[in-house]
Amino acid sequence: MKSIQNNKIFIDSSEYNYRVAHLTLEGTCSLDHGPKNVNIKNLYVDKYPVTNQQFLFFIKSTGYKPADPQRFLAHNPNKIKNNYPVVCVSQYDAMHYAKWVGGRLPTDEEWQYIAAGPNYLEWPWGDTFDPLVCNHDHSALTPVNAHKKGASWCGCEDLSGNAWEWTSGVYDDGEHKFALIRGGSFFYAQDHWHVGGGARKNNYHWKLQLLNEGMNRASTLGFRCVYDV
Amino acid sequence: MTYKNKKMKNKIINFSSRDLLFAIDYEKKMNLDQLFDLNSKYNFLKKKNNDLLKIKIENEIISDRFLRVENVIDQTKNKFKFISLDFSYSFKKDVFKGRVSIIQKKENIIDIIFQLAGKWNNKIPKKTTLIFPFLRNLNNDKNFLKPGHVFSGKRSIKKSVWNFHEYPPAIITNNSNNVAVGIEFFDQFPWQSNYNLGMHEAILKNDFDHYESEIQLNRDLSDVITMRLYTSSKGRNEIFHLWKENTRNRYDLRKYFRPKNTWIKKNYITHFTFAYGKEIFDYKKTKLNIKKIIKDGKEFGGYDSLIFWHQYPRLGLDNTNQWDLYKYLPEELKTIKKIVKECHKNGIKFFIPFKPWDVRSNESLDYHAKSLEYFVTQTNIDGFFLDTMSSLPDSFLKIQKKFPSFEFASEGTPKEQRQIEQLTSSWDQIGDIRRNYKVEVEANMFRFVFPEHPLNLVSRWSVGSDKDAIIKRAAFNGTGLVIWQDVFGCWLPFSKNQKKVIKQLKNILNKFHDIIFGSNSTPLIDTLSAGLICNLFCNNGNQKIFAIYNFTKKKISGPFFKIEPKNNIKIRQIFGTNSSMQLKKIKKEQAVYGTINADDVVLVHIKY
Repeated sequence: MKSIQNNKIFIDSSEYNYRVAHLTLEGTCSLDHGPKNVNIKNLYVDKYPVTNQQFLFFIKSTGYKPADPQRFLAHNPNKIKNNYPVVCVSQYDAMHYAKWVGGRLPTDEEWQYIAAGPNYLEWPWGDTFDPLVCNHDHSALTPVNAHKKGASWCGCEDLSGNAWEWTSGVYDDGEHKFALIRGGSFFYAQDHWHVGGGARKNNYHWKLQLLNEGMNRASTLGFRCVYDV
Repeated sequence: MTYKNKKMKNKIINFSSRDLLFAIDYEKKMNLDQLFDLNSKYNFLKKKNNDLLKIKIENEIISDRFLRVENVIDQTKNKFKFISLDFSYSFKKDVFKGRVSIIQKKENIIDIIFQLAGKWNNKIPKKTTLIFPFLRNLNNDKNFLKPGHVFSGKRSIKKSVWNFHEYPPAIITNNSNNVAVGIEFFDQFPWQSNYNLGMHEAILKNDFDHYESEIQLNRDLSDVITMRLYTSSKGRNEIFHLWKENTRNRYDLRKYFRPKNTWIKKNYITHFTFAYGKEIFDYKKTKLNIKKIIKDGKEFGGYDSLIFWHQYPRLGLDNTNQWDLYKYLPEELKTIKKIVKECHKNGIKFFIPFKPWDVRSNESLDYHAKSLEYFVTQTNIDGFFLDTMSSLPDSFLKIQKKFPSFEFASEGTPKEQRQIEQLTSSWDQIGDIRRNYKVEVEANMFRFVFPEHPLNLVSRWSVGSDKDAIIKRAAFNGTGLVIWQDVFGCWLPFSKNQKKVIKQLKNILNKFHDIIFGSNSTPLIDTLSAGLICNLFCNNGNQKIFAIYNFTKKKISGPFFKIEPKNNIKIRQIFGTNSSMQLKKIKKEQAVYGTINADDVVLVHIKY
């Protein structure tokens, strides 16, 4: 499989009506879910989530070592899985990578616009769920370019399913810190008390309560970058 | 003695026990002609037409003209008194057989048993329901108290909860309240289709007058209703004890009295330690700060245990299971070992939870038991909290052989016999965020039937006045509490004053443990003023504690409850707003008088 590099898509600035609607297990999401108008500025976005190959190149180039390496790249990225999304990275790791490539993590609002677009699509590819155009309820990750038909309106792939994606916000409500993750993953746990897995809709985010870095990394959680213009 | 129907001249059987007289007239129908208290001659059946039973096929009640009483046994002169009437109905080519029996094996316990059989003409069963007119009439007596109810003026109102499969009796008394009869419909297994027919629930409802119980008849006689009557000449407070003793007789409660497990009995204040918050987690140092939790707990009088919680809501993000998730905490299991050590230094026990909903297809309960055993070895934790459960899997029991002081506590109070025997502590959880839930101060019957089973009361979403009500409810029932302030990311703290009151309550539970958890405690004893309910805590000693709750919206001044007329009685209020308690004599009796605010709970200690 051809490696993927420097695939960036331009997103024109736009006013966008942001609205998140999802079930929360218990408690609340603690954030304004809209509907509210948000301004998306001109930006570039990675066509694919950051891959193992890209992330390993970052480490090689910068000597990046997280201060707390617990579970860091614990999925053992290797050559065979070069084009798979990098996972087992914390939001902090992802931010470091993004800074190095001259970008940043998308905000929760930007991620939703990149996925849903001006037509407010329910899923990146349209309004109807199609498990064949994403990695949903499977046993493992797949390459980031394995589901071309699942591309969003702007051409971004692998937004829904395969691996969750970090967004940029770190929220502090006075008692807790949390971040929002997007898109869902291939892993679909059995019970309603589990984190709702599988591919997730464009208007769904998960409130991931932050702890130490070992707990902030997961084998289904990666990221993609955006770049300010 | 057995008599054939045709030879019977006088078709009335009298059955007298120590306290009661039954007269069954079977001349034209089966009628409970009389049921009265032998001492005061109070007749519990005011109305006529006290038929023992009516059978309704589809929409038609079988007329008494089809009744044939076929066989009568009268052994009322024997030591163990016994009567039975065999009867039959032939109705539209269907034939029904039945038997009504009354048995007395103990002087204060009488069973009335109804058995029925049916033979359908074309072997196709018809919808069959039963009506018990005599029970409806008893239910309408002004002195009839539904199970777990109290009188408020003339009204009977429910002031208790029981969430286990033992059902306390309804109670009927004579006018002086000296003679009381408890009526129990034993029904431990709620799925039995043909037995007691939901009577324990039906008799609770206001429309019992219209209650008809559906039944599936077999060809041979089977029990359909078993009424157990408990009689007392000491009033209705004693009925609870008769029922309780009779109920507990079936139970093997040895597990509650293991010498190494005494600590669980004093686990009054347990803290739900949600890891993802500043209550325990130091985001700057990215470490769990156990010292902060222990320090904060002192405001509540000190935590007796912590339940450490980091798996939910995180499990399911990836395939990490509930045990592996501990590997990702700072320093992995060492961090647990360290905080357990710090807890133990401060006299605090440490629980971790088990998530039955995270048992994967390749995992058995034995696997989880082994994982637990390894965990205990590595960290010295003291207990396993059974999330969402009200039972203890057998696989986990092995742990206690290796670690005799290890304990289990479940989120739900155990409901059935085996569970109650095995699972020796649990939460008393109430509340529901979606239903406008109001915390009620009411008696928890389980707590009084099994006082050796420690309960920690919790209503996780309650705030404001409902949090006050939780504390009052715990004080009223003499139970511990769960301090749960961080509900999965919602910060719902107790106020300073609430913490102060909890601290006070903990001290009382500790100081008066033997009385509050005494085996002679009684829920909902008689009170002397409308608007009050009262639980009595006592063992066999010379001290008692009365918990009184004013459930009205007005201050009540007056007599609270009677006490035995003895000399040198010392009375002291130990909890709640000052109620100016004092003893007063009423004729030959003594009563405690005082003033209690609306919606307030006070505890009164009495020493003889």
